[in-house]
Amino acid sequence: MIYLVVAYVVAVLILGGFLWLSLGTLRELSARASAKK
Amino acid sequence: MTRYTRLVVAAVLLMLVAGALIFFYAPEDFLQKEPQRIFYLHVSAAIAAFACFAVVLGASIVYLRTESLRADRLARAAALVGVVLTTVTLVMGMLYAKPIWGMFWTWDARLTSTLVLWIIYAGYLLLRRLAEPGRQAARFAAVVGIFGFVDVPIVYFSVTWWRTQHPGPVIINDALPPQMLFVFLVTMACTLFLAAVMVAMRYQIETLTDEVPSPLAQLVGAHREPEPAR
Amino acid sequence: MTRSISVAYAVARKDLTSEWRTRELVPALGQFVVLALVIANFGFQIDSRNATVIAPGVLWLALVFAGLVAFGRAFAAEREQASLEAMLLTPASAAAIFAGKAIAAALLLIACEAVLLPALALMFGTPFNAELVAAVLIATVGMAALGCLFAAIVARVRSREVLLPLLTLPLWIPFIVAGGQAVQVAMGARGSYNQAVALLIDFDILFVVLTSLAARFVLDD
Repeated sequence: MIYLVVAYVVAVLILGGFLWLSLGTLRELSARASAKK
Repeated sequence: MTRYTRLVVAAVLLMLVAGALIFFYAPEDFLQKEPQRIFYLHVSAAIAAFACFAVVLGASIVYLRTESLRADRLARAAALVGVVLTTVTLVMGMLYAKPIWGMFWTWDARLTSTLVLWIIYAGYLLLRRLAEPGRQAARFAAVVGIFGFVDVPIVYFSVTWWRTQHPGPVIINDALPPQMLFVFLVTMACTLFLAAVMVAMRYQIETLTDEVPSPLAQLVGAHREPEPAR
Repeated sequence: MTRSISVAYAVARKDLTSEWRTRELVPALGQFVVLALVIANFGFQIDSRNATVIAPGVLWLALVFAGLVAFGRAFAAEREQASLEAMLLTPASAAAIFAGKAIAAALLLIACEAVLLPALALMFGTPFNAELVAAVLIATVGMAALGCLFAAIVARVRSREVLLPLLTLPLWIPFIVAGGQAVQVAMGARGSYNQAVALLIDFDILFVVLTSLAARFVLDD
């Protein structure tokens, strides 16, 4: 059913998106931190 | 850095395994049919969210007693992950409710207190962003984190009591047949691992923003620089 | 102990006398609640049949919004901040100061209720009895403690008008649920008044204790 599909798609988007953004932020901050040293 | 990438990959793989179980191994529910599969991740996300907020509670109490910067960072990290997981819970819950009960929303105890939970910790995050970064933001947020956590069971209890005065839609809790229970437990374990990875990543992000002043630091309400001892 | 009480009393008196001198908050709140009742009358198309059904909701809506305004002002003034810091320099405990401010704010809210409840009975034709007044007063205690705590938190934060409702309302919900039920029964609906009021008292005790404990983290700087 469509509700099932939409529910999991949304969940994947939210969680996956959050993981993606966090990894990106982490990379940028780590680069900045090591640049400072 | 690659440590975190590896953790993320592991978490994603585990979630894919859970997903495969959910869609291919778990039997179809007799009464609710396909939409019932939403329940596996929906409840797992809810439990993971509560775990995160319990971490916020613990870290907040520790911060108020010891002013430990690390406790504050952990609280910040866990609050954000908790809100994300609660969002997933609410959205999946609404998409579950519609085919089963015919409505996207009912004001029963569980839904109401989950919504209240979301509002409280969204407020927590907003407070962190708007308050003076540093000790003040951390203290205020710790108080909000503690009060918020205490409030949720009270709201749940109030609405449950209110329902005894105004009977409403009843949520049927069937005991799960063994196959479903297995899939649920696996999903929950995978989701908790995912949550832990997310908190660990955010904790590292908070640590870095505390130590590396940058425009980014303003976004997450980090401490500006080490506070002088009082 | 007696010193704490006298500190609380002094703080409450200071707040109330300064409100009395300017006399702006209570009339403004009074106006607001009357206006809310008028709007509710047209919005809900109140008639003698649905009045007792809708009135409790209108009562709590008006009270909550009035409360947010009242508590928002509790810590607002700039010189308020300076005098607060001055008070904290004394050995008086933060809990006592907080208690004083919460009492003053509660009294302001009660003044507002003194307008709201009779006006409600007058305009909607709903019963006006001791049970109604008691329920509202009991709920006010806990709501005042919470409102004051979060007002202290947002006083020094940007966008406090947005943040105060966001932080306070989730904690006021149990009071609105139980209080709404109590008021409904007081107005004639079925249900248990005593249970509702007992819940309100429990909530009062819980949150008064918790806010007193939290006060020193919020007022101290």
